[in-house]
Amino acid sequence: MAELRQNPLVEIEGLKVHFPIHAGVFRRHIGDVKAVDDVSLQIYEGETLGLVGESGCGKSTVGRAVIRLYELTDGHIKIDGRDISHAGADELRPMRPAMQMIFQDPQASLNPRMTVSAIIGEPLDEHQSLSPSERIARIYELMDQVGLNRSFANRYPHEFSGGQRQRIGIARALALNPKFIVCDEPIAALDVSIQAQVVNLLEELQKKFGLTYLFISHDLSMIRHIADRVAVMYLGKIVELAPRDDLYADPAHPYTQALLSAVPEPDPEHEAKRQHIILEGDVPSPSNPPQGCNFCTRCPKAMDICHEIEPSFHAVGDGRYAACHLLEDR
Amino acid sequence: MFNYTIRRSLLAVPTLLLISLIIFLLLDLAPSDPTANLPLTIPPEVREKIRQSLGLGDPIYIRYILWCKQFFINEPLNILEHIFGWQIGGDRLRVLSWQTRSPVVDLIVQRLPQTLWVVGLSYVLGIVIAVPIGVISAYRQYSWFDQIGTFISMVGFSVPTFFTGVLLIVIFSVWLGWFPSIYDTTHQVTDWSSFLVQVKQMIMPVSVLALFNAAQISRYMRASMLDNLNQDYVRTARAKGVRERIVVLVHVLRNSLIPVTTVIALGVPQVFGGAIITEQVFKVNGLGQLLIIAIQGGDVPVVQTLTFIFALLIVLFNLIADVLYGVLDPRIRYD
Amino acid sequence: MKIRTLTLSAVAAMAIAPSAHAERGSSGHVNIIYWQAPSTLNPYLSGGTKELESSSLVLEPLARYNEKGAMVPWLAESVPTVENGGVSADLTTITWKLKPGLKWSDDTPVTSADVVFSWKYCTHPEGGCAQNEKYNDVKSVEALDDLTVKVTFGLSKPFPYGPFVGAQSPILQAKQFADCLGAKAPECTEANFGPIGTGPFTVKEFRPNDVISFEANQNYRDPAKPAFATATLKGGGEATAAARSVLETGEFDYAWNMQLAPDVIKAMEAKGKGKVVAAFGTLVERIMINFTNPAPGLGAERATAKHPHPILSDITVRKALSMAIDRKLLVEIGYGSAGRPTCNVLPAPEIYKSSANNACLVQDVEGAKKLLEETGWKAGADGVRAKDGMRLSLLYQTSTNAVRQDFQALIKQWWKEIGVEIELRNIDASVFFGSDPGSPDTFQKFFADVEMYANNFDGTDPEAYMSNWSCKQAPRPETQWQGNNMPRYCSKEYDGLVAEMATTGDLNERARLAKAMNDKLMQDYAILPLVDRGRVSAHSNTLGGVVLNTWDSELWNVADWFRKK
Ligand SMILES: Nc1ncnc2c1ncn2[C@@H]1O[C@H](COP(=O)(O)OP(=O)(O)O)[C@@H](O)[C@H]1O
Ligand SMILES: [Mg+2]
Repeated sequence: MAELRQNPLVEIEGLKVHFPIHAGVFRRHIGDVKAVDDVSLQIYEGETLGLVGESGCGKSTVGRAVIRLYELTDGHIKIDGRDISHAGADELRPMRPAMQMIFQDPQASLNPRMTVSAIIGEPLDEHQSLSPSERIARIYELMDQVGLNRSFANRYPHEFSGGQRQRIGIARALALNPKFIVCDEPIAALDVSIQAQVVNLLEELQKKFGLTYLFISHDLSMIRHIADRVAVMYLGKIVELAPRDDLYADPAHPYTQALLSAVPEPDPEHEAKRQHIILEGDVPSPSNPPQGCNFCTRCPKAMDICHEIEPSFHAVGDGRYAACHLLEDR
Repeated sequence: MFNYTIRRSLLAVPTLLLISLIIFLLLDLAPSDPTANLPLTIPPEVREKIRQSLGLGDPIYIRYILWCKQFFINEPLNILEHIFGWQIGGDRLRVLSWQTRSPVVDLIVQRLPQTLWVVGLSYVLGIVIAVPIGVISAYRQYSWFDQIGTFISMVGFSVPTFFTGVLLIVIFSVWLGWFPSIYDTTHQVTDWSSFLVQVKQMIMPVSVLALFNAAQISRYMRASMLDNLNQDYVRTARAKGVRERIVVLVHVLRNSLIPVTTVIALGVPQVFGGAIITEQVFKVNGLGQLLIIAIQGGDVPVVQTLTFIFALLIVLFNLIADVLYGVLDPRIRYD
Repeated sequence: MKIRTLTLSAVAAMAIAPSAHAERGSSGHVNIIYWQAPSTLNPYLSGGTKELESSSLVLEPLARYNEKGAMVPWLAESVPTVENGGVSADLTTITWKLKPGLKWSDDTPVTSADVVFSWKYCTHPEGGCAQNEKYNDVKSVEALDDLTVKVTFGLSKPFPYGPFVGAQSPILQAKQFADCLGAKAPECTEANFGPIGTGPFTVKEFRPNDVISFEANQNYRDPAKPAFATATLKGGGEATAAARSVLETGEFDYAWNMQLAPDVIKAMEAKGKGKVVAAFGTLVERIMINFTNPAPGLGAERATAKHPHPILSDITVRKALSMAIDRKLLVEIGYGSAGRPTCNVLPAPEIYKSSANNACLVQDVEGAKKLLEETGWKAGADGVRAKDGMRLSLLYQTSTNAVRQDFQALIKQWWKEIGVEIELRNIDASVFFGSDPGSPDTFQKFFADVEMYANNFDGTDPEAYMSNWSCKQAPRPETQWQGNNMPRYCSKEYDGLVAEMATTGDLNERARLAKAMNDKLMQDYAILPLVDRGRVSAHSNTLGGVVLNTWDSELWNVADWFRKK
């Protein structure tokens, strides 16, 4: 199935995003937070790529860097064939309509002093020249598409519930007919009962408009539900990338195994057989990652070599990739 | 909002009455004697007579009630008469200053123009300077602009105005002879050249105070901008492809101005309070100087009336700040 | 006779004074700065110097004092004396004659009724007139005709020049103030802020505590004066800024009362824009000795004659304290050209000045030590002397003021050298000089061992001033702590001199008595005079005609001021 869609919309190569750390009276540069450290990925047109990992591992940074909300420290990003790695603000602006983002916190991501129609309408003003009536018609259309009552158009974000706010965020992201949307934990801040509604909405819109998603989450069950392929991140690096079913059926990387072992199985038979892998210790600081494999300090299968040489991210099967010395000669 | 404003205003009435009583009692407790500054050659019997003629012989509650009557009833009636040309009539005694033996309200009215011009203008100027500095400092946090801005505001904030004022006088009046060192309150602006004279005599006091005000406000502005710059909605705006200038000036600035507006509104009573030290340094002789002279001279009616008016303004501008906050921030609703 | 010669010489002096210009208003505008701002122009409603002097441009008395302290006729034709028949032989009446043809600035004639009214105005029991003392003992003031006024005293008045003499008791226009008597006085704001006068200027605008604009009085009696058409008297700020505006920036022509450190004044004068002028009067910075015990343990009897001071009752201690002081150094540090060392509490006018006490001009620390040693005050282990278990330890108070605190520190050091331990205290001036009987910190309560301040007297006659140290003037609970005898000094001999002066009319005889009183106080070391403080003012090099006067308003001869070309 993966082979059928060999048409990458987003290509990420060797992406690094480092945040400098300053200290002292003169704010000397004393190191970097290596939030994203050498990530390579491709996202195919029309698919949903799930990005999972513990909090703080760099998922959001990847998401923001991909659509160039951050400056890259190194690496290349191509969207729809165009290299935007070092495009300036003016060069990027006309490309913004194609790539959009839905944020985790629907409250914080909406300007509190703008009404719903202003929020949704702003990108229209910025990138299209619509007459006032066309504009309002488009706003209503978008509100209909995400299931918001039109009469709410002149209300402020704080007057809505969390789920409704996320719908505003989605409507806003859809306004310019994007191809690619980064969904950065779009449901993490919502009540469980609402989560399903929003996910269903996203899936529905994907079908309708042929959208491509980079879906970021720390919730493995949700990823299993929505993603076509899944990338697992640990401490600024991708440790495993595989089609969904393969990954869940047969996790290759010890970290993926440990993550999945913590997910309850819906099938009671499987659930009974499931064995927990408990990871010891804390995640190292991204400003000071360990030598060798980033996961070596906590890996239950760590070998001597893991503490010295960084494993490469290589193919480990049909459309599957992982970074682990154990898998190197498989 | 309207109900809220009305309710708050009503609540302010007993508060202010209580404040006026407390001011009165405090002034009465303070050891001060309106005849203390007279030459020692004036004998005590004469001093005693002077004090009696000022009404100091009456018990304190009589004096308080008298002041209340004069201030809350007689003075407003007077103002009404003045504005509408009515003749309400009756023999109304006004609040009289002990030093000048003239109505306190007239003194205040006489002082108001120079205070509003100098202190008010410096406040406006301070805001006008502070907002862009705060915005740029925050947007380019830790840049050289920000570092210099931080340094200057630290200087403006911590170096007292009597120092900067005298420094300016020595440089620009004594050495260069560009500006007068003494403010002429009787100067009338009638034409272009007299306007220039007015500008010249205002430059130094206004800039000293504006520096001080700008230092304070730019810090608030910077902090508030920084708070907002890291918010997700700014990222949203950028993701929308909104021009950076609009991101900063419309999205971030508008939201950052909400708390700053409150700070600015709360600072307005200080304008009316005058700038005691700066007025003294440049002889602007506004409300601040009136207050300080009254305190030195034990002129209780002037001190009482001025402090009460300040209290009134503080209460008023607190209310204005709250209402403004409600107007500016749709998340706040009063009812 | 003496007064007459003084008067004549003064008139002569004025005649030869340079008044170069012959046309009113030809000098343009003059800028005067007073760093204390006048709050009213009615000198009867405020006793402050700033009000007296600013109103002296407008309001004038019948006679005033010139720079030498001699009386000169002003609105009166001449100064009445016993010789010229103006003062009755029994010293109970004085008859003044106005110059003929005098006009108020509103073009109405000045008459004796105005003089009578001025007396009524100030002596009204509800008026709170600050100059009431000037009219002490006046029984009546009558107009004998349009230009003649007779003042009758209730007793024989050897010095009958209280009423209507000097800046403190000028003549008000009866018409303007007719409805402003007594309790109504403060309500007449318009009159109080713009009195109609006979002086060289009229008030154009008065802004209380800020600025006064004057215009030349078109009805002034000398058609050639004043040389200035307009004048501004700006008030407020501090002495440094006022001095700067005359001596450094040249914005102002005349600055009053430069109470500044000597080196500051020198540096400013070096700019060459203006001159500093000084003149001496009767103001003496002095240390008062407390003859009574201020110990708090004594309760209501604290600091009263019932309990003599345990240490300071000993004259050798008082004398040693005086000997240890270097008055020359105090002058140098605190006042410069505005001061000179003095050993008299009555340093002027010349005829009253004693030369019997000049030994104190030289500091004598060794002598002071020896004196204490000889009288049994022996130094202890900590260097502090003691006698009969009584340590030589004193509390020294004064008002808060930079120069006074410098003086305190210096004197503490000198007294420490002779073995006296000193605790210093300074009190805010408005409290220290305030007369709140409830406050323990007033200079009158004197709950300390020694205290320092300056005092002087009005005019030239020392009688009232010298009577300050009679026994009955001691502040005490019965007088609500009022009274001027701060040391609570009490001497039969001194009281005798006071009584004698009260009945003596002859000027030479009065001078002898005043000197004797001064010497008695000095030789009893009841008061330790430190510095004879002058008045220092500054004027621009282009301002002519300034004659600094400490006996009357500094602006007394403003009519003669002119602009130098
Ligand atoms: N603007 C920033 N400046 C400095 N450090 C940052 C910044 N943004 C994120 N980080 C750091 O980068 C790491 C990755 O953060 P993030 O991408 O937000 O993680 P995730 O989204 O996976 O929780 C964290 O250690 C975080 O502290
Ligand atoms: Mg995140």
